[in-house]
Amino acid sequence: MPLLEVRNVSFAFGGVKALDDVSLSVNEGEILSIIGPNGAGKTTLFNVISGLLRPPQGEVLLDGQTLKGRAPHRIARLGIGRTNQIVRPFGRLSVVDNVAVGALIHERSLRGARAAAREIVEFVGLGALADRNAGTLTLTQRKRLEVARALALKPRLLLLDEVMAGLTPAEMDTMAEFILALPKRGIAAIAGIEHVMRLVMRISHRIVVLDYGQKIAEGTPAEIRSDPRVIEAYLGAPLEVL
Amino acid sequence: MKIAGWIGAATALVLLLFVPLHINGYWLNLLYQTVLYVGLAYGFNIISGYAGYFSFGQIAFFGIGAYTTGALVLATHWDWTICALIGGVLCGVLAVPIGAVMLRLRGPFFAIGMLGLAQTARVLASSSSALGGGSGMYLPPGSSLLPVYYWTLAVAGGAFAITWWIDHSAFGLRLQAIREDEAIAATLGVSTTRAKVSAFIISAIIPGLLGGGYAWFLTYIEPTSAFSARVDLQSIVMTILGGIGTLWGPLVGAVLMTQVSEALWANFPQAYLMIFGGLLVVLLIVLPRGIVPAIATRMQKRTTPSAGGGMVMGSAQPGPERT
Amino acid sequence: MDTVVQLIVNGLLLGGVLALSALGFNIIFGVMRVVNLAHGDLVVIAALTCAMAYAHWHINPLLLLPFTALGGFVIGACIQRFLLRRLPAEIASGEASSLTLTFGLSYFLAGLGLWIFGGQIRSVPYLTGAIQLGAISIPQARLLAFVAAIVIAGLLGVFLRYTSIGRAIRATSMNLDGALACGVDADLVRTVSFGLGSAVAAAAGTLLSYVYTFNPQDGIPFTISAFAVIAIGGLGSYTGALLGALVLGFAQAFASYYAGSTLADAAPYVLFVLVMLVLPQGLLGRRAS
Repeated sequence: MPLLEVRNVSFAFGGVKALDDVSLSVNEGEILSIIGPNGAGKTTLFNVISGLLRPPQGEVLLDGQTLKGRAPHRIARLGIGRTNQIVRPFGRLSVVDNVAVGALIHERSLRGARAAAREIVEFVGLGALADRNAGTLTLTQRKRLEVARALALKPRLLLLDEVMAGLTPAEMDTMAEFILALPKRGIAAIAGIEHVMRLVMRISHRIVVLDYGQKIAEGTPAEIRSDPRVIEAYLGAPLEVL
Repeated sequence: MKIAGWIGAATALVLLLFVPLHINGYWLNLLYQTVLYVGLAYGFNIISGYAGYFSFGQIAFFGIGAYTTGALVLATHWDWTICALIGGVLCGVLAVPIGAVMLRLRGPFFAIGMLGLAQTARVLASSSSALGGGSGMYLPPGSSLLPVYYWTLAVAGGAFAITWWIDHSAFGLRLQAIREDEAIAATLGVSTTRAKVSAFIISAIIPGLLGGGYAWFLTYIEPTSAFSARVDLQSIVMTILGGIGTLWGPLVGAVLMTQVSEALWANFPQAYLMIFGGLLVVLLIVLPRGIVPAIATRMQKRTTPSAGGGMVMGSAQPGPERT
Repeated sequence: MDTVVQLIVNGLLLGGVLALSALGFNIIFGVMRVVNLAHGDLVVIAALTCAMAYAHWHINPLLLLPFTALGGFVIGACIQRFLLRRLPAEIASGEASSLTLTFGLSYFLAGLGLWIFGGQIRSVPYLTGAIQLGAISIPQARLLAFVAAIVIAGLLGVFLRYTSIGRAIRATSMNLDGALACGVDADLVRTVSFGLGSAVAAAAGTLLSYVYTFNPQDGIPFTISAFAVIAIGGLGSYTGALLGALVLGFAQAFASYYAGSTLADAAPYVLFVLVMLVLPQGLLGRRAS
C-alpha cells in the first residue's frame, strides 16, 4: 500500500482549475519530485494534502485512511509535515521555540519540547542561532528553519515546497545531501516540489509532472527526461518543431 | 539577582495584604483601583497579547459579572462573594458560544465584533427593566471597601499566576504560535480552536470576577459604568504601555498609570478621553512594544556583545501582531 | 400593509445615507486594509459642527457640505500622513496596531467633541416637514439626505473611475504590488484615500445632522454600522456596500418599529454576527481562497 495516495482531486479558485482530477501516490522509502511550469497547481496540491484546502472532489489517503474533512492540525498529527514555498517563520519567537511548536505533539511539557527542538535545530545547522528571534534570520537560515519545524513533527511524510528556491548552487548541493540523509531520521517518504532540474534528476526516485492542474507524466527521472509531453509543457512545443 | 526579585515580591505581597488594614478611605480606594486595573490588564493581555486576538470589548464580561452579582444578591440575598463567583463562572460559560462565533473572525473583524458585543450588552442592560433599565440597580451599601479590595487582589493575583503559567507552558507557546501565524501553527499540529477558546474563556472569567467586585465597590450598577468604555480603554492603554504579550507588562502599565488616570478623571473629565486616546496613539508610534520589552532590550544590549540578541519566550515577547 | 411600505421607505431612505458612510469607510479599508475605528467619530463631529453652526447662525447644513467635506479630507490626510505612516514597521505589518491606533484616535476625537461641543445632544431642526403620499409619510429631511447621498456616491464613483488618482486608488486596493510596479505613488494614494474616506464620512455626518440627534460619544455605533454594511455586502465590492446598506437600513427600520429604538441600535451588530456566521465573505464578496 502506498504511504500517501491522492485520488482524483480537483480544486478550483473561482473559475480557474488549479487541480484537475489529479491522482498520484507516494511510496515508503521514496523521494518523489513534483515538477511542472509555474501555476501548474503544485502548491495547491500540497495545500490539499496538508488540509488547508478542502477539495470538492477526490480524496487523500494516508496509510489507506482517508484524510477527507480532517483539520490541518489533525493531519499534522497523523504524520504529514510540510514546508512553505514562501517561508513563514514565527518572527517574534526564538528559533528553538519555532521548532518546539511542532515538537509539542510528541512532548507533554514545554521543556521536553524545547529539548527535542534544540536537537533538531543543531541537526539543520542553526545551532548558533538557536535563541535568536526567527525574524532576524536570513533567507537561507529561514529555509532551514522551515524544514526544522516540519521535522519536529516526526512526520512519516515530509512535503518540501521549493526548498531550493533562493539558494546558491553550493547551498543547493548541501540541501540535497541533507534531504538524502533524512530517511535515517525516520522519515518514511519525501515529496518535493522543485524547479531545479539537475537536483530533481539526481535525488528523485520518481517524478510526477503537472501542467495546468493535470498530471501529464509520471516515471523515473530517465523516463521523464525524454518524455515529449513534458518537454512540450516546459518549452511550449515538441522538440522536433523547435 | 533572582533572590532580590523574590524578596521584593514577598515584601510587596506582605504590603498588599496588611497595609490596607491601616490606611484611610482615599488611599484604599486608590489601591483598589490599581489592583483592579492590574487584573483587567492581565485579562486583556491573554487573549489580545498572547493569542493575538485583539479584543476591544472585554468590558462586556466585566459588565456581565457586575450585573450578575447585583441581580443575584438582590434576588437571593446570598453573600456577594458567592454571587460574584457565579458571575465569573457565567462569563466563562458564555465565553464558549461567544468565542466559538467570534474567534472565527480574524483581526479587525474580531476586534469590532467584540466592540459591538460590549455595545450590545450595554444596550440590552439599559432596555431590560428586570435589570433596572437605564437607571440601574441599587445594592445595599457595605460597611467597608476592604472585602472588595481583597477579592480584587485575589483575582488579580490569580490572573498574574495564570499568566505566569501561560508564559512557561506548552499552552502559552501554542497561543503565541497562533498569534504569529495561525495557519502555519495548524499545520504544525496546534489545535487552534481549542487553544483560542481556552484563552478566551480565561480572558472572560477574569473581568467577570472583577466586575462582581466592582458592583460592590459602587453599590450601584448601571449600564454606562458597568460597561464602561473608559475602563475598557484604560485597561487597553495600560497593557500596551507596559508591554502587551509580556508577563510583567500589564502589572507595570497598570501600576504606573492608575494614579495618573484617576487624578486625570477626577480633575479633568472633559480632557480625559482626549488625553487617553491621544496617549494610546502616541504610544503606538513611539513605544509600540511597551516599557517592559524596551527595558529588557536595553539590559540585554548591555550584557551581550552582539546587538539584537534573541528574546526567549518568558522574558519579553512583544506585540499583538498577526500577519 | 401600509406600515410595511412605510417601513420599507424608512429603510430605503436610511440605507442611502448609511451607504455613503460605508463607502467612505470602504475606501480606506480597501486601499490600506486599515479599519478606521475613528470613522464614526468623524461623522459625529461633522454633524455636531453643523448643529452648532445652525444654532448660532442658522446656516443650512447643505451649504456647509463642501466645508465639512474639505475639513474631513484634511483631517483624514493628516491622520494617514502624520500618524499611521509613522507606525514602526516591526509592528505595523499587521492590522492590529493600525486598528489600535484608530481606536485611540476614536476616543481622542470623542473627547475633543465633548470638549468643543459639550455633552448635550444636538440636532438641526431643518426641514422638519414630511411629504404625504397617501398613508405613507416621507420625511423631507430624510428624503433630502437620501438624494444628496446618492449624488455624492455617484460623484465618488465617477471620481474613482475616471480620474487618474481615482484609478490609482482602485489599483492599489486591488493589488498593491502591481500598482507599485506601474509607478503608483503608494504614499500619495494612501494619503488621498484616507482623506477621501474621511471627507465622505464628514459628508455623511453633515447629511445626517438634520436627521438624527447627536452626542459626541455616538461615534462608535456609526463605525460599527459602517463596518457591518461592508461585512454584510462583502469586502471589496462597491455594489456590495450599497446592498449591505440597504439590508441594514431595512433591518434598522423594522427593528426600530417592532422592538424599540434602543434595541434597533443593536441591529447592525446582530446582523453582522449573523452574516459572519452564515456567509463570512458577505453577500457579494470575493470568496477567500
